[in-house]
Amino acid sequence: MSKRYGFVMLVYRCIDCKACQVGCWAENEVPLGKSRNWITKDGPKGKFPDLITDFLPGNCMHCGNAPCVNVCPTGASYQTEEGIVLVNKKKCIGCKYCMVACPYNARYYHPEEKTADKCTMCVHRLKEGLQPACVSTCVGGARVFGDLNDPDSQVSRLLRKHRAVVQLPQANTQPNVYYVYDSPVDKGGIAP
Amino acid sequence: MAKDKHIADLPSIGESFFWRKEFSRRQFLIGSGAVFSWAMLQKMSFAGGKAEETTATAAKKGVNKVPSVCEMCVWRCGIIATVEDGMVKKLEGNPENINSRGKLCPRGNAGIKLLYDPDRLKFPMIRVGERGSGKFRRVSWKEALDFTAEQMQRIKEQYGPEAMIMSSTHNLTQPYFENLLKAYGTPNYGTQRSLCFNAMTIAFLFTYGVAQPVVDYENCKYIIYAGRNLAEAISNSETQRMMDFAARGGKIVMLDPRFTITASKAAEWLPIRPGTDLAFFLAMGHVIIKEKLYNQEFIQQHTVGFEEFAKAVEPYSPEWAAQRCDIPAETIRRIAREFAAAAPAAVVHPNWRTSNFVNSFQTERTVAILNALVGNWAAPGGLQPVPEEGSALGSLPQPPYPTVTAPRLDGVPWKHPLVPLKYGVIQDIRDALLTGEPYQGKGWLVYRQNPLMSIPERRKTLTALKNLDFLAVIDVIPNDTAYYADVILPESTYLERWDPLSVAGNRVFLRRPAVEPLYDTKSGLMILKELGERLGLGDYFPYQDERDVIKAQLAPVGISFEELLEKGWAELQEEHHDPYYLQTASNKIEISSSTLANSGENPVPAWQEPPAPPVGKFYLLSGKVAQHTQFSTQNNLWLSLLTPDNPVWINAEAAKQLGIKDGQPVIVESPVGKVINKAYVTEGIRPDCVFMAAGFGHLSKALKTTYGKGASNSSLHETHTDPVTGCQALSETFVTVRPYLGGESA
Repeated sequence: MSKRYGFVMLVYRCIDCKACQVGCWAENEVPLGKSRNWITKDGPKGKFPDLITDFLPGNCMHCGNAPCVNVCPTGASYQTEEGIVLVNKKKCIGCKYCMVACPYNARYYHPEEKTADKCTMCVHRLKEGLQPACVSTCVGGARVFGDLNDPDSQVSRLLRKHRAVVQLPQANTQPNVYYVYDSPVDKGGIAP
Repeated sequence: MAKDKHIADLPSIGESFFWRKEFSRRQFLIGSGAVFSWAMLQKMSFAGGKAEETTATAAKKGVNKVPSVCEMCVWRCGIIATVEDGMVKKLEGNPENINSRGKLCPRGNAGIKLLYDPDRLKFPMIRVGERGSGKFRRVSWKEALDFTAEQMQRIKEQYGPEAMIMSSTHNLTQPYFENLLKAYGTPNYGTQRSLCFNAMTIAFLFTYGVAQPVVDYENCKYIIYAGRNLAEAISNSETQRMMDFAARGGKIVMLDPRFTITASKAAEWLPIRPGTDLAFFLAMGHVIIKEKLYNQEFIQQHTVGFEEFAKAVEPYSPEWAAQRCDIPAETIRRIAREFAAAAPAAVVHPNWRTSNFVNSFQTERTVAILNALVGNWAAPGGLQPVPEEGSALGSLPQPPYPTVTAPRLDGVPWKHPLVPLKYGVIQDIRDALLTGEPYQGKGWLVYRQNPLMSIPERRKTLTALKNLDFLAVIDVIPNDTAYYADVILPESTYLERWDPLSVAGNRVFLRRPAVEPLYDTKSGLMILKELGERLGLGDYFPYQDERDVIKAQLAPVGISFEELLEKGWAELQEEHHDPYYLQTASNKIEISSSTLANSGENPVPAWQEPPAPPVGKFYLLSGKVAQHTQFSTQNNLWLSLLTPDNPVWINAEAAKQLGIKDGQPVIVESPVGKVINKAYVTEGIRPDCVFMAAGFGHLSKALKTTYGKGASNSSLHETHTDPVTGCQALSETFVTVRPYLGGESA
C-alpha cells in the first residue's frame, strides 16, 4: 500500500505561539503578508471566570476529494499518490479558481510568481526524511505528521486512541488533517 | 490594518512632549553636508551593505549548515543555521541542545529578520543634533571609539570613575563588560534584574543558597504557578516540558488575574486578586502545618526554622486568606492537601518576573518554604538545584581590579543592604541622576539594554538621560536609548559574530558567525577590548580576537577549538554536588532566614497588605506575548506581522460600564503619564484589572516597523521599590481607562 500523508492536530497542545507560521515562512520563502498555515483562536468562550479557549493549528487539508483540484482548468492543481495536494507552477495560469473553491481558504496568490501557492507538506523535506517545518518546530507538540496508512505511525496511533474530527465535514472534502479535542484530564494524556 | 493606522496616527505621550512629528528636510541639512537623517543614513548604508554582502557570498557558494546559539531572548537555544550562497535562509533548533530540544519558538525562527532588518545599526554614529533629535553622522570605528574613550576618560578625571554608569543586559559577553567597568573603577553597574526577578532569586538564595532551581517536569505530578505564563513568556525547553507534563495529565494550578494561554491549559485557573498570592501561599502553609501534611523527616534533616514558620502562619487560615485573595477557603484548603499528597513530585514554581508588588519577596519566600515543607528538594518530580553557570570553563589571566571606595548610586548596599552587588537596583540609578544624590552621575554606557523602555516613569528617565554629559550605546538595533545617545557603537547580530561559550546542561555550545558581518559592525568582545585599550585597560582584555577567549574557556574541557567547530558542541565533565549541602549560613534550607534576621528583617514570611486601586481605577498589569522579547523584537518584520501592537485588555463587563467597545481607542492614565491605545474587550481578565503587553510604544523613530504602534507601560508605571530586594513593583500602578473621543492630546 502506498503512503498517505496526513496531520493530526492535538488542539490541547497548541499554545498559539505561531512558531509553525514563522518556520514555514522561512522554509518556503513565503511572500511577506501571506501564509501557508495558521492558528485559529476559538475563544475565550463562556463568562468570567468559567472560560475555555481552543487553538486550532491549520493548513491545507490535503483533501481526499479536493475542490481545488476539481476546479483547476489546466490541471496545475493535482494530488500525488501520497495524498499531497500540489500546484504545478508551470501549468498554473493564476486564474484563482482554486482559491475560491477551497473552503478552508488555504491558498494565496503568489505576487511574484503569479500563481496559486499553498502548503506542500514540505515535500522537499519529506524526501530528505525530515518532518514538515511547521511540525518540527512546534513548541507545544500540537502538530503531528505521518503516514496514515502505516498502522504504527504516530498519527495512526493517535487516531486509534482518540476521537478525531475534520473541519467542515459537510463540505465532503475528505481532509487528511484531523483534529483531536480531547483534554488530558478526560483521557489520561495527550502524548504524541 | 486601517484600524491600526488610525491608532498609530494618534499622538502618544512621548511624541507630543518630546519631539516634532516629522522632520523637515531642511532640518537635516543644517551645518554641513555631513549631517544626515536616519532615513538618509539607512538608505546610504543599505547600498553599502549590499556590496559587502556580495563580497562575503562570493567565497561561499552552496549550502552550509552552521551550528550556533540563538539570541532572540536569553534562553540560549542551540540552533542550526542553513546558509545558502552566503544568505541565512533558515534557523532550526539543534536537537543536541537541551535548551531547544530541536525546536525554536517564533522569535528564534524569526532571527533571520533581525539579521536582514533594514533598520538595524550598520556603522558607528555620532550625534550631531540635539539629544533625541535623531540626527547623527556616520563615523569610522576609530573616531567612534576614540570619542567614547575620550569622554569616559574626561569624566573619570573630572568627576572620578564613579560618575560613569555602565549597564548591561544578560548576555554571553557580560563578563567582559564587567571587566571594563571594574577595571575602569566605577561601582555603578546596572542590570535588568530589579525590573525582573530579584524577588524570586533573592528569596531562593536566602532559603536554599541557589538562586534559580529548576523543576523536574518529567517526574512531576502537580505544579502551582503564580503568574508564570510559560505558554507566552516562552522559555523554549521549559515550555515544551510544561506542555508534555500537562498533556501527560500532570495537574497545573494557575494563579493569574488574567486568562493567559497557560491558564487556558491549566486544570484549574484561579483568577486571584493581584498582589495577594502571598495570602494564598501563607494559607497553604497554614493548612499543611495544621493538618501535619509536611515531610517531618525531611524538615528535621535538611531545614532550620520550621517552628518559627509554623507559629507565624498560625493566623493565616484559608478563611482569612479568602477575604484577601478572592479564592474560596475550601479551594485553598483542597489545593494545599492535593499539593502535599502529590509531594515530593509536586512543586510551587519559583516563577520568573516577580517584580510585581513590594510584597513579592515575601511571596517568593513563602513559595520557597512551601516546597521545603513537602521535601521536594532534589527529589524526583521536585525542585532541582543547578550549579553555577560556566564554573567548568577556563578564563584568560588578568590583573586585579582597582579598589572602589565610592558608594553606588543605586543604594546597594548602603540603602539596600541585602541586594547582591551583581543584581543592583537600576531604577534607583535613574533617580540618583535626577536628585544628584549621593553624587551626580555624568556618563552612561549602555550595552544592549534599553532603560527608556524598561525603567518605570519614562518621562523621568528621559530627563535623566538628557541631563547626562555623555551617553553611549552598544546595540544591534537603533533602540530608544540609542536614539538619545551621543555615540552609537553597532554590534554585529548573533548570526554574524563570535561570543564566549554557552553552557547548556553538561555541554558547551558555541555562538559563531553563520555569515560574515553584513555591515561595519563588530562583536561585543572586540568593541569592549578596543574601548578598554583606549582607556589604558588593555591588560584586562588579553586577547587578539574572540577565538582566544573561546580557546581559553575550552582549555579545561579537553577539546580543541577546531574539534568544537566541527562538532558544534562539547561535553563537560559532570560535576557531582551534594544537593543537601547548601550555600546558606546554616548549610541547610533556611525556612527561617539567618540573613534576614541579621539585617533586622522578619526571618519568616508575614502578611504584607498590598495597595489596591480606589473605586474607578484598575490594576495595570503587564506581561509577555510569545512573539516578542522584552523591548528588542517589535521591529522584526515577521514578529511584527504576527503581533504588531499591544491592545489594552479590559474585562467585558467593566468595558460596558465605561462605554468602551472592542478595538476602540482608549486613554489609559496613571498618576505619572497617559497613553492612547486600543481596547481589547475580553472575558479573560478580572474586572478590576487592565493589561498591556510589554515592549510597544517605542520612542525611536529609527525603528520604522514598530514606531507609533501600541503604547508603553513604562510611560504609566510609577516607581515603587521594595527596600529589601530592590525589586520594582510593576503592578502597583493604578490607572483610569476611558474612551478616546478625539481632541485630547495624550
